[in-house]
Amino acid sequence: MLNLIQTEFLKLRRRKFVWFMLSTSLIMPFLALLYFNYFGKKDIEPMQFYKMSAYGFTLFIILPIVLGMLCTMLMREENQYDMLKQLWIVPVSKMGYLLSKFFVVFVYSICFMLITAVASVIFSVIPGYVALEWGSILNLLEKCIIIGVLSAFVMLPILAIAASQKGYILPACVTLVYAFSGFILMSINAYLHPISSMALIVICNNDIPGVVLKQEMNIPFAFLCIGIWDIVALLLSNIALKRRK
Amino acid sequence: MSNFLIETKQLTKIYGDQTTVNAVSIHVGKGRIYGLLGRNGAGKTTIMKMILGLTPITSGEVKVFGQNMKGGEKRIYPRIGAIIETPGFYPNLTGTENLEIFAKLRGTAAPNAVKNSLEVVGLPYKDKKLFSKYSLGMKQRLGIANAILHDPELLILDEPTNGLDPIGIAEMRKFIKKLSVEYGKTILISSHILSEIALLADDIGIIDQGILLEESSMEELRQKNGRYIQVQVSDLPKATLILERQFGVKEYSVQDDHTLRLYNTTLDMAAINKALVMQDVAVISSAFCNDTLEDYFKKITGGEGIA
Repeated sequence: MLNLIQTEFLKLRRRKFVWFMLSTSLIMPFLALLYFNYFGKKDIEPMQFYKMSAYGFTLFIILPIVLGMLCTMLMREENQYDMLKQLWIVPVSKMGYLLSKFFVVFVYSICFMLITAVASVIFSVIPGYVALEWGSILNLLEKCIIIGVLSAFVMLPILAIAASQKGYILPACVTLVYAFSGFILMSINAYLHPISSMALIVICNNDIPGVVLKQEMNIPFAFLCIGIWDIVALLLSNIALKRRK
Repeated sequence: MSNFLIETKQLTKIYGDQTTVNAVSIHVGKGRIYGLLGRNGAGKTTIMKMILGLTPITSGEVKVFGQNMKGGEKRIYPRIGAIIETPGFYPNLTGTENLEIFAKLRGTAAPNAVKNSLEVVGLPYKDKKLFSKYSLGMKQRLGIANAILHDPELLILDEPTNGLDPIGIAEMRKFIKKLSVEYGKTILISSHILSEIALLADDIGIIDQGILLEESSMEELRQKNGRYIQVQVSDLPKATLILERQFGVKEYSVQDDHTLRLYNTTLDMAAINKALVMQDVAVISSAFCNDTLEDYFKKITGGEGIA
């Protein structure tokens, strides 16, 4: 398994798109900087800044789309170049293959959120919008790591769809629908969608200002939602990879 | 355990209502090069995929190294190297990097495995050229390098000369032969090019429309289909006695009650005819025949298609 994971990272050599996608982690911290600069606000609450730079669109839209693209990219290559046959006769187990891809997504997701966290701190503290407080920085880091870890699990259904497809159009389209539907369902029933469930887990301490929930907070339900989606995704991807022979 | 490294029994593959492979039984002996010859779409790749367990078998049985492939994959795969259809690799990596990935996945212990396998196929080690920039010939070579990376006993090569230029084909043939002769590998190779199989294989299986039409050694086939003199006589036992004693003929075969084939074409036919007639053996006909393998294949497959 360790060899499989190592080779997954080796395969990413010279993939500029991977670095480009990672750079999108700077979008929201930068937009937050522009926003607070435009309104000329100083000494704002750190959580107010981080809500915009790390927890808002990054959680609901940017990170899911980036991870969806990454899942598609990871799965597409071997399908496109007809390499699966060669891998199966190594032999590589289908579950091992899928889990090694998942591990790449997992690490990437955490890196993405750590960059977002660092950029949020830099863009807020250096221009002087937010005072340097270690407590809020640690809180930001904690939440970013939670988002990074959970996002990888939340995107497992997209990895399953990418595993079942030779092309990239369907997984890319499904990623967009998946990300936006998570955002929309947040205000209807958050426990139906893994992304909205993840958002509930992130805000469970009620420490993010301006978030009003229409439903009662139930963290086990949120984990259950993610778990069910992931189990179904794993089963489907296993079937899809078996058919891929 | 039998001497066959690959043995299939009544191997059948049905897609929908189409039978792609129909009750094929092939036998690949240890240390031999077995050529699977057939037109495009004859079922060669499907047979190879079934042998490798890459496609489910409708009915029949595959034994590799005397073991059932189904369920024994983990034990059998490390002993096999294969190229099925066009070998695919990561285009963003160099040949060496690609092989390093496969070496890592296989847990190849030999420290110089990548370097050695690249050397065997004549590709440079640690070259900076990306796989996406490789020519078709280089891609095929890299495919073979990957197949021999872990020093397998058995190689399954599906049309390894596909798309190569004539020089590339000759080079590929040379090192497939080398793998068999110098490294003692058993090789199952498929092709639709008769001349290629004729030059490479020790044994041959001719497949057409999913049916194995013939399986024999190349030597037997050549004997059946080379240049020979066909003689029809009234008394076959007496004729063979005369040929053996008077003319020292040893290379001949009996076709039926009255027909003989003499494989030494330098014999003086006039003298033979005279001797037979003089000893009361009527010569019904005698003729030089020159059946090529191509003629034979056309005859048994019922037409064109094998180059």
